[in-house]
Amino acid sequence: MIKQLSVFVQNEVGSLAGVTSILKENNINLKAIASFDTPEFAILRIVVDQPDKAKILLAENGYAVKITEAVAVELEDVPGTLNGMLTVIAEANLGINYIYSIVIRHKKAPLIIVNTDNLEKTVTVLRENGYLVADQEDL
Amino acid sequence: MIWAKEETLSRNEIEEIQLSRLQEVVRRIYEKVPAYRKKMDQQGIKPDHVKSLSDLKNMPFTTKQDLRDNYPFGLFTVSKKELVRIHASSGTTGKPTVVGYTRNDMKIWTECVSRIAAMGGTTDDDVAQICFGYGMFTGALGLHYGLENIGASVCPTSSGNTQKQIMYMKDFGTTLLVATPSYALHIGEVARQMGFDPAKDLKVKIGLFGGEGMTEAMRQEMYKLWGQDMKVTQNYGMSELIGPGVSGECLELCGMHINEDHFIAEIIDPETEEVLPPGEKGELVISCITKEALPLIRYRTRDITRLMYEPCKCGRTTVRMENLSGRSDDMLIIRGVNVFPSQIEEVLLKVPEIGAHYEIIVDRKDHLDTMEIKVELADESLLDSYAKLGELEHRIKSKIRVILGIDASIKLVAPRSLKRFEGKARRVTDLRTNML
Ligand SMILES: [Zn+2]
Repeated sequence: MIKQLSVFVQNEVGSLAGVTSILKENNINLKAIASFDTPEFAILRIVVDQPDKAKILLAENGYAVKITEAVAVELEDVPGTLNGMLTVIAEANLGINYIYSIVIRHKKAPLIIVNTDNLEKTVTVLRENGYLVADQEDL
Repeated sequence: MIWAKEETLSRNEIEEIQLSRLQEVVRRIYEKVPAYRKKMDQQGIKPDHVKSLSDLKNMPFTTKQDLRDNYPFGLFTVSKKELVRIHASSGTTGKPTVVGYTRNDMKIWTECVSRIAAMGGTTDDDVAQICFGYGMFTGALGLHYGLENIGASVCPTSSGNTQKQIMYMKDFGTTLLVATPSYALHIGEVARQMGFDPAKDLKVKIGLFGGEGMTEAMRQEMYKLWGQDMKVTQNYGMSELIGPGVSGECLELCGMHINEDHFIAEIIDPETEEVLPPGEKGELVISCITKEALPLIRYRTRDITRLMYEPCKCGRTTVRMENLSGRSDDMLIIRGVNVFPSQIEEVLLKVPEIGAHYEIIVDRKDHLDTMEIKVELADESLLDSYAKLGELEHRIKSKIRVILGIDASIKLVAPRSLKRFEGKARRVTDLRTNML
C-alpha cells in the first residue's frame, strides 16, 4: 500500500494553491491530488514522494493533516481494465468511498487509488485476481 | 385609554407611594431572605436606614448570579406553598433562573400587563393572537392574562407553524398580534407569499411587540407590511422582575412608561455603579416594590437606556424609558431567546475534536434570526471521511439545541484560522444592528 495525506481545506479562493505551494517550496513532489465539490469545506487527498515530511510541514502551516494508507492499483492501458478492477471489488462486497488516479509516472502505467472500508481485504482480492498493488517505493 | 389612576399621579404622589412600599419590602427581605440580610449587613445597612427614596442607592445590587447562587427558591420571601405559578428562563450555566408568583403577584402582573396593553390601544373588542412560545418563559402567559383581564378574546396560538397562524388570523378576524417584532415581520412576509395582503386581507390593527428590542427601521417595515394605520408598540420586561409588564410604549411613541407604583427605576454607570442624574444614559436598575414571592431589589438589567420624567402628551405622568440602545453585558437575543456566548462556549469546550477558539455570527434572514458558530477542527483522525466531519457538526448542533433551545449552523474551519485576540476576545459578530 501507499501513503496518502488527507488535508482539511476550506472552500476559499486559493486554498488548494496554499497547500501545493508549501509542497513546492520544500521540493516535495506531488503525485496525485483529489478534491470534491462540497459547499463548506473539503478533504483534500494527496499523494507525494515524501509523505511524513509533507505532513509535518503542512501541520506547521496550520493545516489539519492525517496520513493514511491507500490502495494503489497499476492498470494496463487496455480497454476494460478499470471495469475489471471495480468488478472484483464489488464482487468481494466492498463499497468504494472514493477513487482517484496517479497519472504521471516515468514510463510506467498509471495508478488508480481506491478507498474502501476494508483496505486489507481489497488488497487481497485484487492480488488474487492478478492485479498489481503498488507500495510507496513503486511511486 | 388610561387603564389605572396610578398612571397619572403627580410626582410627589408617586414618590410617596414608592417610599412606603420600598420601606416595607426592604424590611421584608431583610427578615425573610438570609442572602439579602447577609449582603445588607456586609454594607452596614439596616431596613430603617431607608428614610427617603435617595437612600435606595445605598442598598446592594441584585444580579442574575445571585439568582443562580440561590437556585431555585433561595431569594423567595414566601414558602413554596404560597406560590401559584413558577416560571424559569435560561441561564448562563445549566441551571435556569427561577421565578415565582403568589396569588397577589399574579394580580399585580395581570394589572401591569393590562395597563401596557391598554397603552398600545387594546380594548375589549379585540381578538388577540399570542404568537410567543408558551411554556416556562413568562412572555406568553403574561400577555395572555393581561389581555384577558381587559376583555379581549385571547387565542393562545403560541409560536411556529406560521401558515396556520395566518389561517387563524383570517378565520378569527384577529385584530391584535403579540409577537417578537422579527416574528411579526416574518408572519407578514409569509402571508404575502400565501397571496394575502396583510394590510387589506387581514384585520390586524394592533401589534404589541416584545421579547426583543424593536428598532425604528423594524417599526417602519411593520407599517409597510401590516398597514400604515397599525398601532405598533413595544413593551419591556424580564422574568426576574415580573415578566412583561414593567414598561410599554403609549401611542405617542416617545419611550416606554414604567409602572412606577410597582417598580422603581434607576440609571447607573455600569462601570462605577454610581447612580446617574435624570436624563443620562446608563444601565437600567429596577427594584420590585410590591411583589411578594420574589421582590428583587436594585436588579441589574444590563439594558442601556435613559429615563425621561416629563409628563407625556398621552396624559400619563409615569417616567418613560427610552427604547433600548444595547446592553452592558454580552447577552444576545436570538428568536426571542436570551443567549449568552458563555453558554455556547461551555458546550464547545466539552467537544474534544475541536479547538478552544470560536466565532459566533448572528444575522437575520427573511426576518428570522440566524446563528452560525465557527469552530476549528483539532482532531485529524476525522479526516478519513466526510461522514465523520458531518457527524461532528451534527453533534455540536444538537448539544447547542439542548442548552439553548435554538438551532445554530456549525461551520468547521481549519486549525488556527480564527482570529486570536490579545485583550478581551470579540467572538460575537451581530450583523443585525440597525437591520430590519
Ligand atoms: Zn405616553
